[in-house]
Amino acid sequence: MNGLRQGWLVTKRELRERARSRAFLASVALMVVTVAAMLIIPAVLKPDGTKDIGLTGRAPATLAATIQQQADAAGLTARIQLYARLAAGEQAVRQGYVDVLVAGAQQLEWQGRADQQLKTVLTGAIQLVTVRERAAAAGLRPEAAAALLAPVPVSSVELGHVTGRSPADETAVIVMTGVLFFCISIFGAMVLNGVLEEKASRVVEVLLARIPARALLAGKIAGIGLLGLAQIAATALAALMAVTTVGSIAIPAIRGGVLAWAVVWFVLGYALYATVYGALGSLGSRAEDAQAVAGPVMVLLPVAYFASFFMITQPASAAARAISYFPLTAPFAMPGRIAMGATTWWEPALAVVLTLGTIIGLVQLAGRLYTGAILHSGPALSLKQAWVSTTTVGPGSGPAGARAPKALRHGARALAGRRTTMTTTGPNSHRLLITMLTGIGIALGVTVAVLTSDVIIGVIAGAGFIGIANMMVRLWTGHPGPPLAHH
Amino acid sequence: MLGFDGATKRFGSVTALDGCTFAARPGRLTGFLGPNGAGKTTAMRAVFGLVELDAGTVRWQGRPVTAAERVRFGYMPEERGLYPRMRVRDQLVYLGQLCGRGAKDVGRSVDGWLERLGLAGRAADRLDALSHGNQQRVQLIAALVGDPALLVLDEPFAGLDPIAIGAMGELLSDAAAGGVTVLFSSHQLDLVEDLCQDVVIIDHGRVVLAGELAELRAKVPQRSVDIRYRGPAPDWSGLAPVELVEARDGQARLRAGPDTDLAAVLAGAQDRADIVSFAYQPPTLSELFRQAVAA
Repeated sequence: MNGLRQGWLVTKRELRERARSRAFLASVALMVVTVAAMLIIPAVLKPDGTKDIGLTGRAPATLAATIQQQADAAGLTARIQLYARLAAGEQAVRQGYVDVLVAGAQQLEWQGRADQQLKTVLTGAIQLVTVRERAAAAGLRPEAAAALLAPVPVSSVELGHVTGRSPADETAVIVMTGVLFFCISIFGAMVLNGVLEEKASRVVEVLLARIPARALLAGKIAGIGLLGLAQIAATALAALMAVTTVGSIAIPAIRGGVLAWAVVWFVLGYALYATVYGALGSLGSRAEDAQAVAGPVMVLLPVAYFASFFMITQPASAAARAISYFPLTAPFAMPGRIAMGATTWWEPALAVVLTLGTIIGLVQLAGRLYTGAILHSGPALSLKQAWVSTTTVGPGSGPAGARAPKALRHGARALAGRRTTMTTTGPNSHRLLITMLTGIGIALGVTVAVLTSDVIIGVIAGAGFIGIANMMVRLWTGHPGPPLAHH
Repeated sequence: MLGFDGATKRFGSVTALDGCTFAARPGRLTGFLGPNGAGKTTAMRAVFGLVELDAGTVRWQGRPVTAAERVRFGYMPEERGLYPRMRVRDQLVYLGQLCGRGAKDVGRSVDGWLERLGLAGRAADRLDALSHGNQQRVQLIAALVGDPALLVLDEPFAGLDPIAIGAMGELLSDAAAGGVTVLFSSHQLDLVEDLCQDVVIIDHGRVVLAGELAELRAKVPQRSVDIRYRGPAPDWSGLAPVELVEARDGQARLRAGPDTDLAAVLAGAQDRADIVSFAYQPPTLSELFRQAVAA
């Protein structure tokens, strides 16, 4: 019996039990229906493109015909109605008989806000006929005027750093990164709640007597991940079918290599963050602790995600390079750099090695925290206590807690809602640490702002650092800590 | 044979186990006794590697316990717990598979246990739909699904009604008769006295008394004389060489030595009261326990 086989049993249990739950099936159905509806409904409701246009006042004779031509070119059908008097035309606009009234080839009158596409068409047509009229007045022959007015084709091509790169790659990667962020938030929270559920129901002691914490955690993460992947696949399939049925969106042509890398980073990103969620989950002991223990990752995750947007604007900069190597941000930043052709072959490989190493390290660390914290059932543990509890734990927490008389332990559980200070770190040294970290955060923010010459990025970096540092200190010491707003 | 060899564990300033040394033999029920906080739960967790010992070892068949052996041991933690929303049979099969047994093999033994404990009709129900007593039965099966050679049960009788206590006792005795080593903790000393062949009493993490129950009782020099009588309470004071321990309406317990002249005591008692019953016996487990822990 090895950890791998046991881990697979855990995975199978997660798959079977979750796939059986009505809540899960309902959420899958809801997601599939929502996505399909989002793609189908706009296509069905799309207006047919017929516009009613009123003409009144003095205008060049060719205006009506030119409007027809221009509208055709823009994919619209123009129905033109002539009004003898301005008042009659305006009345028609007010009553909605026509979309717009062209008065004397110089004024467009709308019932409400101008339809931008129609406005462009009409303005173009008026310009064209007016310029033709002026050209004729200046003595130009119609052919010469036509040659003069013929549009000059200007096309735009993005070369980037490599050949064969397409804007569709970038779009696809941005979508994938967004989906990854969404999935980590949803499925990471499921890992966290799964860990807390096992702790709250106390089944964990039965499990850990038979299976290493590493295998339990890895199996759980794999199970929830596979289920998440199935959910995404079902949704993507529904989206694909909807799109091909109604033909509302052209499917971008993505290079196979870019897509493959995006999938690799998707899996790595999920595995990395799910491990963090699992480790944090082992610090709590009831479902209500979820918010408190998940704090750091809930700040870290959006910061890592938004860092990838910054990268898109300057994919070749040193900062972008750094965040695409750093394991916590790499899953968000590296696929984009690959898609933009801003990487050489070894860069993604190096980042994969770094990220894999971090995941292995985190699983070991999380396993240790899990074993240390898992036999604890009082108030949420501090990170420090969980870390040291495999060798030493103060009375009333950890395995030693089991030695206290039952009544005492029940009392402790009743008090569990209250945060208790169970640390040697005094309030003063704690305050000093927070102040120091805040100072470092501000310095970091200013440095980033100067380096990137962007104040907003600087503020995000600084605030993100301060937020995470503050929560880590709190988790580490179990001390509630002074709220930052008091400074 | 399960052996604790100098097991020591400290939690900060608290010493939970302090050179704890004893053995539990196969085919026998060993009662693991001690006041609250004596270190019983810590010792049991050490068998499963849930607590890392600071010093000493836990041995199985004379060698330190390996992970491969450990998964086959049966464990019922003091804090009961299973997945509340999982179906009873699925849950037990899953736990059995974690012990390394094949799904079909586990399925058969789970069905057998459910049948034996009267839960066959509840196999497809969620655990949280079961009564407290039935959940306890499922928890016991969870300890048995690995077909264990060693059963470690932390307070298996806590919270059970008298009928369930009887059934649990019978089940443990049967397991022991089948060659299983059974170690369980309990505060119900009368029950332990009825069931167990061996006892281990620990206090402050140290073994204060261990061995075969009958031998331990015989070895103690004190004997007690229990007398039941009709009529008013007499004056027992002149009844040497025994001395009065406690007296209630119609009952008296006197302390005696191993070679007290019983005939003289009985004659003296009959002079003082209308005797209904007269019993001369070694001390009960409760008395042994109190003496061992007070020492």
